[in-house]
Amino acid sequence: MVDTLNVELPGLDCGLCGYRTCTELQQRLAHSPKLLERCIHLSKDRVQTVSPPEVPPDGATKSPGRAARPAGGPAVLPVLAGGAAPTWHDSLGREFDFYLEHFPEDRGPREIILPHNPLITRELAVCRGDILIGRPLGMSCGCPITHCGVATEVDLRTGVIVWCVTGPLGPRQHGFKDLGYYIAEGYEGLVRETRCELKVGLRYFFQPRMCMLQWRHSGLVNYLNRDSAGYQVRLEGLWIG
Amino acid sequence: MVSRIYFDNAATTPLDPRVREAMQPYLHEHWGNPSSMHREGRQTREAADIARRQVADLLGAEPDEIVFTSSGTEADNLALQGVLCSPEVRAGHAITSAIEHPAVLACCRHLERRGTAVTLLPVDSAGLVDPAELERALRPETRLVSIMAANNVTGVVQPIEELIGISHRRGVLFHTDAVQAFGKLPLDVRRLPVDLLSLSAHKLHGPKGVGALYVRRGVSLTPLLHGGGQEGERRSGTENVAGIVGLGTAAELARAEMAAEAARLVQIRDWLIDSLPALIPSVYLIGDRYRRLPGHLCLGFAGREGEAIKLLLELDALGIAISSGSACSSHHAGQPSHVLEAMGFDPPRARGSLRITLGRFNSQHEAERFLELLPGAVAGMRPMGHFAPTA
Repeated sequence: MVDTLNVELPGLDCGLCGYRTCTELQQRLAHSPKLLERCIHLSKDRVQTVSPPEVPPDGATKSPGRAARPAGGPAVLPVLAGGAAPTWHDSLGREFDFYLEHFPEDRGPREIILPHNPLITRELAVCRGDILIGRPLGMSCGCPITHCGVATEVDLRTGVIVWCVTGPLGPRQHGFKDLGYYIAEGYEGLVRETRCELKVGLRYFFQPRMCMLQWRHSGLVNYLNRDSAGYQVRLEGLWIG
Repeated sequence: MVSRIYFDNAATTPLDPRVREAMQPYLHEHWGNPSSMHREGRQTREAADIARRQVADLLGAEPDEIVFTSSGTEADNLALQGVLCSPEVRAGHAITSAIEHPAVLACCRHLERRGTAVTLLPVDSAGLVDPAELERALRPETRLVSIMAANNVTGVVQPIEELIGISHRRGVLFHTDAVQAFGKLPLDVRRLPVDLLSLSAHKLHGPKGVGALYVRRGVSLTPLLHGGGQEGERRSGTENVAGIVGLGTAAELARAEMAAEAARLVQIRDWLIDSLPALIPSVYLIGDRYRRLPGHLCLGFAGREGEAIKLLLELDALGIAISSGSACSSHHAGQPSHVLEAMGFDPPRARGSLRITLGRFNSQHEAERFLELLPGAVAGMRPMGHFAPTA
């Protein structure tokens, strides 16, 4: 049994334990010793010397990251990489051939998408300028992230929509139409940095610059136009990885 | 019409009416330049001096140790660049943590390009810097350690006292970004002898556009802004008197109300933490259970992290303002949160947290209303799988 009555509380009366004064907490410690862990001014080590860590109360939420530090990682991280040259590796260490950027005139990466229920394009009366949200699912690009965007072209016969992916501020400010799940059928954009010559008809691994997860994608280049800024490309047959 | 519930107080806080009232005269009848010798100037000078004393009092500091700035970001930049950009120090070494606010991390990248070596300390899965890691990272040429007092994403409070002690034993200056912590945690510099401390008014029911840097007497800074020599030659530019008065009043109110307010917010916060799992089995809490700011919660929903944007939008439509833990609340599609990645979360999870931050004007009733609405909104998220919370 831990003698919590003799624990010296800091006397700051800061309220961070949920009690207004240290005296109030001290009085409750006699009946509930584990309340001591609520005092953030006692370092973990000091708390543990008087009261071993206890299992959280039933129903309490648990911290998820407990397995988290990558095994074998350095104790101190290396120096920040600022403005580094491309490493041609994605966030999972996989190689890719080029970065896909969005056109400067676009509000974000341009994608050709098809709702899993193409009729929803008509049912929602989607038109140019509409703010949309949805999640890519399955074939292709089964990305786990909900995307937001602004429609730039709409084909009501097929349900195909061209949109520019944006952040969530637009939907938050102006409302949105929810497509549910959709398929990413194609990307169009600029290639400014590549480590190989691009050819129509070949598949490449590439890194969409704005990909939230920085995962490489793959796709077949079926349109290519070289200009002073680099390549204008269209990619279809998309996959993540 | 049902009134909205604002649970995003870590982003900014509503102006306290008492602060607004204190500022009013300096937006209307008292408009003099504090550097002027005449009565109009003296009136605003006196107001700024009172505010300086009010901010200093909340920190247990002296008024001449307070430098008013335009923001917490400027205060961070002044601290880091002010110490590390002096000619004799430029090639030195600085230590910070992987979970700092961009105001510190981006500034460190800038300093790196100018020749300063920077080490990023990792954090553990609870979001805490291990003091032993700091001990190991210190070098003979280390000039500055900058570790935030409390994190803006998770709300986790760092063991600043120990980190200061370690730095000072090696003769290294210690800066803390206390933008989230100021007015919520006791930060008396006589007990926590930091050398530099950044703060901002608008996180504390004060106005936007004003912050301050505490600079311990004897610490020499190279100014960022050169000009008329205001703020003791440390920050030139005519003072934002109304804003400064607002900051001073906000600090004064916090000093009087901090403990009671903290206890109240902790009660609501912990009620939420204890009530959530029964309502939403997939929920998990991010960051240390108790070492966190009083009204600050960071949550994830297992298997639904990718839908955080949809959840935010749905809650917004239901009248609840909360925030994502990642950078994606900006105009552009965001990256995973560097804070959660540093805590070991994989990118999809680091992308999908929810930040709920309570403040002075929130009530238990609002928390209850939030819990009525949240389970339905979470149930509407399209799961990636039906996973239990990570064990």
